[in-house]
Amino acid sequence: MTSLSVNTLTKKFGGLTAVSDVDFEIGPGEILGIIGPNGAGKTTLFNMLAGSMEPTSGTVYFRGENITGLRADEVARRGVARTFQITSLFPSLSALDNVRSATYRTKRTGWIASMFRTAAYRAEEDEVNRDAMDALDFCELAHHAHYNAQELSYGEQRRLEIAIALASKPALLLLDEPAAGMNPEEGQRLVGMIRNIRDRGTSVLLVEHHMRVVMGVCDRVVVLDHGVKIAEGAPTEVANDPEVIRVYLGREAVSA
Amino acid sequence: MTMSRFTVPVLIVGAVVLPLATGNTYLHHLLVLWMLFSLLALSLNIIIGYIGELSFGHAAFFGIGAYTTAILGMHFGLPGIFGLFVAAAMAGLFGLVIGYASLRIEGPQFAILTLGFGSIIYTTTNYWVDVTRGPMGISNIAPLGVGGLFEFTTAIEYYYLALFLVAGFGYCCHALMQSRTGRSFIAVRENASLAASLGINVFRTKLLAFVVATAVAGVAGAIFAPYLTVVTPEVMSLHYMVAIIIMVIVGGRGTIAGPILGALIYVGILELLRATGPLRMVIFAGLMTLSVIYLPGGLISILKRKIHIGGGVTDQPPKPEAKQ
Repeated sequence: MTSLSVNTLTKKFGGLTAVSDVDFEIGPGEILGIIGPNGAGKTTLFNMLAGSMEPTSGTVYFRGENITGLRADEVARRGVARTFQITSLFPSLSALDNVRSATYRTKRTGWIASMFRTAAYRAEEDEVNRDAMDALDFCELAHHAHYNAQELSYGEQRRLEIAIALASKPALLLLDEPAAGMNPEEGQRLVGMIRNIRDRGTSVLLVEHHMRVVMGVCDRVVVLDHGVKIAEGAPTEVANDPEVIRVYLGREAVSA
Repeated sequence: MTMSRFTVPVLIVGAVVLPLATGNTYLHHLLVLWMLFSLLALSLNIIIGYIGELSFGHAAFFGIGAYTTAILGMHFGLPGIFGLFVAAAMAGLFGLVIGYASLRIEGPQFAILTLGFGSIIYTTTNYWVDVTRGPMGISNIAPLGVGGLFEFTTAIEYYYLALFLVAGFGYCCHALMQSRTGRSFIAVRENASLAASLGINVFRTKLLAFVVATAVAGVAGAIFAPYLTVVTPEVMSLHYMVAIIIMVIVGGRGTIAGPILGALIYVGILELLRATGPLRMVIFAGLMTLSVIYLPGGLISILKRKIHIGGGVTDQPPKPEAKQ
């Protein structure tokens, strides 16, 4: 079963069509990259998938369920996690509390159970701590668990964002320019992390500017230009597509 | 200072013994006010401290609770402990409606909306003479009773009732902060769009917090009225609206001890400055200004700072490592 299926998705702002009839699918355990020059509609597309913007027309199916036009929290509850283009954390909480908050989706016991310290509550809180430490461990942040998020370095904050998204145990992870502002070394580390995420069985959709990251990690790439999908295929195919080279890659060395 | 496991029990025992240390009924009266305002401030703290919205309308819910017991007693002869539940339901119901109408809006606009709703309730109470007896208020409110078995009459009795509720609600807040629900409150306060991306329904989370806070404010009012045996619309006036906010912020929002400390300072300072007349509110407001500038975490942060440098405004949940 496909993880995500996007059909003729369109978004119009007044007379401007930001995203026009875009189709693509993400298979289970697949890493799909979406690239395109500035203004290609990548962010609009991303926001529609994550539920923070309603499409004008078209549909989005996640694991066979129509999730078109659902709110962000409804999309998230179905198992789609996302990161944000601009670093988005719970700044005054510790790194650990950041990821603990993110276990919300998979847990059930609430306030009343915690008042009475029920067995179910205690078992689930242990799970929360375990899941949280797992996610921090995975993003190599366990040693910073008790630092406030705002005290972490930029690269660490970006990894913490991914840890937060992973702590919600998503089936699909949407990454919005995760390598933005990263140095090459951090970018390489990110590539490794994305592969590991996929190896845990999570599908990944990656909207990215950094060609090195996209080419290095994606199974398939979708290229947008002016809201229209102009190419789709394996990274090497896409990189040699004359149309893609014309609109996008021509301005940036493919091998960079 | 370190928080040992004995700190809270010792404080509670201290609070239980406190009124026995003096026979002065005036001091007992101040203790009752302290506890009732503590309960009220703790409830507002759910809104200001946990979900991070500012409400100017909180005194209105305190007033709704007070008027509910007063009117129940007057028309139906139905006062007593049962009235506390009705008052909580009534205030919570108003909270639900007002919260539903306004919580989709956030920040300063939300604060202004609550000011508007608070003023509507205050004005209505003032002018709807048939029900509320208008500015004269309702007097001769019967004391709280427990089904004819027991009646709360003296200040000490009211103090213990309020202390019990403060301790109970304080515990509920403590449990909240260690629960999934509480984490969702803090997540909404810290970063609403990130919270939504984790599956948290931001509006419903805020609404839950708002209804709980307003219901508890109603309970505080429902004790306040029979304790004073009189209630006037002044309990919903701007004076109280602002006073509760000051208690929470000066004491320390987002903590449990903070609002209780804030209420103590409010009651204490107002009494100490009684001789200065209306100037005391100016001094009190000045204190809030200084607190916001120099102690954004409130007075409680002075104590906390010694435990955990840079600790935010939340109650830090226990670190899991400590258990292993």
